[in-house]
Amino acid sequence: MADIKVKLETADLAEIENRILELCQQLPHGITDQVIQNELPHLEPQHRAVAINRLLSMGQLDLLRSGTGLLYRLKDAQSSGKMKGSDNQEKLVYQIIEDAGNKVASRVDFTLVMLVSEISCWLGSSVLSAGIWSRDIRYKSNLPLTEINKILKNLESKKLIKAVKSVAASKKKVYMLYNLQPDRSVTGGAWYSDQDFESEFVEVLNQQCFKFLQTKADAARDNKQSPMIQRNSSFASSHEVWKFICELGISKVELSMDDIETILNTLIYDGKVEMTIIAAKEGTVGSVDGQMKLYRAVNPIIHPTGIMRTPCGLCPVFDDCYEGGEISPSNCAYMSEWLEF
Amino acid sequence: MTQAEIKLCSLLLQEHFGEIVDKVGAHILQTGSQPLRLISNDTGTPLDQVKKALCVLIQHNLVSYQLSKRGFVEYEAHHDRVLRILRYPHYIYTAKTLYGDTGELIVEELLLNGKMTMSTAVKKVADRLTETMEADGKAMDYGEVSSTFVRLVDTHFIYRCPAPLEPPEGAAAPAPVAPLLLTSEKDMYTVPKLSMIGKGKRRRSSDDDDDDDASEQQTKRQKKEADSKETLPDDGIYWQVNTERFHQHFRDQAVISAIANKMDQISSEIVRTMLRMSEVTTSSNAAHTQPLSSNEIFRSLPTGYNISKQVLDQYLSLLADDPLEFVGRSGDSGGGMFVINLHKALATLASATLESVVQERFGSRCARIFRLILRKRHLEQKQVEDFAMVPAKEAKDMLYKLLSENLVTLQEIPKTPDHAPSRTFYLYAVNILSSSRLLLQRCYKTVANLIERRLFETKENKRLLEKSQRIEAIIASMQATGAEEAQLQEIEEMITAPERQQLEALKRNVNRIDASENQVDETIFILESYISTSTKP
Amino acid sequence: MSATSKGRGRAAFTFDIQAIGFSRGDALPESVSQPSPVFPNTDYKPVPLKIGDDEDYMLALKQELRGTMKRMPYFIAAEGEIQAIEKYSFKYKTERDKKLVTEWIPDWRRLPREMKPRKKKKLKVVKQKKTNIPAARSNVDVLKKIEELEKKGDAEKSDEETEEKEKKEDEEEAEEEADAYDEEEQEEENDYISSYFEDGDEFGEGSDDNMDEATY
Repeated sequence: MADIKVKLETADLAEIENRILELCQQLPHGITDQVIQNELPHLEPQHRAVAINRLLSMGQLDLLRSGTGLLYRLKDAQSSGKMKGSDNQEKLVYQIIEDAGNKVASRVDFTLVMLVSEISCWLGSSVLSAGIWSRDIRYKSNLPLTEINKILKNLESKKLIKAVKSVAASKKKVYMLYNLQPDRSVTGGAWYSDQDFESEFVEVLNQQCFKFLQTKADAARDNKQSPMIQRNSSFASSHEVWKFICELGISKVELSMDDIETILNTLIYDGKVEMTIIAAKEGTVGSVDGQMKLYRAVNPIIHPTGIMRTPCGLCPVFDDCYEGGEISPSNCAYMSEWLEF
Repeated sequence: MTQAEIKLCSLLLQEHFGEIVDKVGAHILQTGSQPLRLISNDTGTPLDQVKKALCVLIQHNLVSYQLSKRGFVEYEAHHDRVLRILRYPHYIYTAKTLYGDTGELIVEELLLNGKMTMSTAVKKVADRLTETMEADGKAMDYGEVSSTFVRLVDTHFIYRCPAPLEPPEGAAAPAPVAPLLLTSEKDMYTVPKLSMIGKGKRRRSSDDDDDDDASEQQTKRQKKEADSKETLPDDGIYWQVNTERFHQHFRDQAVISAIANKMDQISSEIVRTMLRMSEVTTSSNAAHTQPLSSNEIFRSLPTGYNISKQVLDQYLSLLADDPLEFVGRSGDSGGGMFVINLHKALATLASATLESVVQERFGSRCARIFRLILRKRHLEQKQVEDFAMVPAKEAKDMLYKLLSENLVTLQEIPKTPDHAPSRTFYLYAVNILSSSRLLLQRCYKTVANLIERRLFETKENKRLLEKSQRIEAIIASMQATGAEEAQLQEIEEMITAPERQQLEALKRNVNRIDASENQVDETIFILESYISTSTKP
Repeated sequence: MSATSKGRGRAAFTFDIQAIGFSRGDALPESVSQPSPVFPNTDYKPVPLKIGDDEDYMLALKQELRGTMKRMPYFIAAEGEIQAIEKYSFKYKTERDKKLVTEWIPDWRRLPREMKPRKKKKLKVVKQKKTNIPAARSNVDVLKKIEELEKKGDAEKSDEETEEKEKKEDEEEAEEEADAYDEEEQEEENDYISSYFEDGDEFGEGSDDNMDEATY
């Protein structure tokens, strides 16, 4: 999909926004993208997204999930309906949480929206929330702790808000509107599943990336071309590796190129891979800001060092060892084991 | 000098020179310079024995003396030279690879005797080589041995010992209290004009019936030689092994090896060529070799290496661009000027050594964390978790392990004047130099431990060993007097089968420990070399 | 757990566990009922030794070097060792075990003057001692001997001998006697000075049995 960026005139945008708001008033339970598209068939999906986002950030629309789609609802109608029977304090707290949720935590990737059909793993929401700590709610509302706790409990039981444990601080919780999705800062992103760090998953990715690079390096060496060509063909860009991993299909979640680079970095720290950065023409596949990161598998420069071939090199009680002591070379169990082997 | 170093020195002295030399040597290592009487008093060793011990130590360049201001002679031991004993096999083996059996024996004799005159060395080596030659009258020519000796001097593997001043002619002056030994720079590698003509002499074989006769003759001959020593033209001109030169060679080998491991054979051969070209022009502690042009390098490649100039240039370019930074660019003339970054290479090798230790001791995850901190210089725990992609609990555990072994340091940087923990940066860092120093000490202690264990194993089986040696000796003398096969068999069977097994196990253990001592010395060498690059001015 | 609360049925401590770093509800470490093992289990084992021709040759060199140096005149074995070794070497001496070099004379020009031993006519002294021993078991006689010696050699030497004699009494004399006898037996045709350095007669490889007296 090409990067088409069609300019939207401000006047046109206002017009579109109004049309969408009208639709919402007509259908107070909420409208979907499909509804808007039916009503405004000539509206470019991109422009639709821009308009919706503006309405959301201006606080005129609320965003909800229904089934697998997105629902847009007029804000006022919803809040007044929902908050019937709540006192003013509850409304205040709810507002604070809602506002926090409307500050979209991650950038909406327009291109991504267009590629829905091409991407197999699609999280379903392009608007994610970072949530808000209860301490911050207190600060903004100026209400005492006991009151806040009571209110939060109430709102939770009415399923208006929910608490999500943050991966950043496992004891703390953030609050957000019930229907929103927590973003990466809360969930930990691709590497966390329910706040559990997926060590095995990371390990598998680490191994797969390395295998890919190693194969490439071996192929380059066997090619027996000139040394310069050999070296250059042993490199792979992070984009190449990312593509390979995506095609492997081993990931349940969608991984970004940044994610892959994080994995590749661990391989650098493993001493197995080295990276170099080259200048790349704007627009080259895999280039970011005119640069491309290249990686290749490398061999270690030394074999395990001499001292690690003796028991003393790994001995946990080394400092207590002396001839004549309880632990000594003469009675060392590790030496005995080593000699027998 | 640490206690670990002194302990190891003591063991080495004991194994190679005996208890008394050990007692004397270890004592002055501990106390520093001391005069004769004090050594005798402090160690409770009779004066004449102390004198003998000191003579031996001085002969082997392990102790030197100085006239103190108050007029008495003080003796000082050099721990670094004693530790070199561990490396003797490596020196000898290197001489073999470079100069064949002749070179091997010359270096061996010089190490066994500490210092020798050229004529004595040549004769000795010729005799030994003759022994190994087929018994058809062939003998090793002195000339051949001489020329190898000269080559060793020319390439600085051997050098002339400092000499006392010549006493004025005819003076009846008494010998100086402590002769001052001086080195003349120009003479250090100058071989005296000797015309050594002759061949090596074979010792009488053990098949000879007149055992006593032979030994008597041998003693007589040696006495004659001893008497005639004073008349030799190179009297007083002694030579010793130049360990620094060998170390330079070992360092070069380590660099070449690293490149071969990471890149390929051709790259490592190019680097070997460059190092060979730089041997004489580079001072022993230089950070870089002198710049070499790609043209020069091309001309100096070993014959048989037919790579084109363009290909060579490619290899040089790749070497210079490699993140290892062992090779650097230093100008454009002559097709491109290149240097070898010796200090950088040693630092990288030391770093790799530390990484190896972490890897083998604590595993891959810990090694990853170690390398990460090394690259990023300073990191907080959270950053370590994120970059290394390990969960918090594991990161904490591993950082603690590294901290407890002094492989990683922790620095507190307070954000606020009250140093409150919640408002303080806790930064982890790696200090290659200090970690290398600590690892080196661990290596010294390790070798000492290995020696102690080896001696223990031998001591445990002392009785059996002596029995076996006695029986061997009996068999040998019986063979000499022409005993029958059956009789020999009977004696052999005096060692039972389980005893044989025990002896074999002992031999296997001693071999394993000896081999491991050699291999720990490799680690010691890299660390010592790296540490010396950062302490010398 | 606050300092004052003592929950029913819960483990109660007499101190505030928060002070040593536990927060509320943290699992306490397992209780230990026996001392930790002297040689705890290690997760990793030593890397196997390098093997190859180079390594084999260097191993052989190392062991040969050690054996050879024990037979060189530079090796000075302690008293006890010599006695033990003599037992075997006299009876079963082989060509191989004979000393490689029977003597070494240092180059005195390169050494401080005090290193050179004085020309002690030790044998003669011993012979004298032998006849005098019964008489010399008192201080008076020691002094007498000193007078005699002073008449003989130069003063410097006897000062030293005086010092030595004053330090140790009968035992040393007996030792010196034994020394001289040993030397007598071992000497071939050389006088004392030439055989200043005798070879450490180490029988066999590695049978150092004086480890107990190691300096450290």
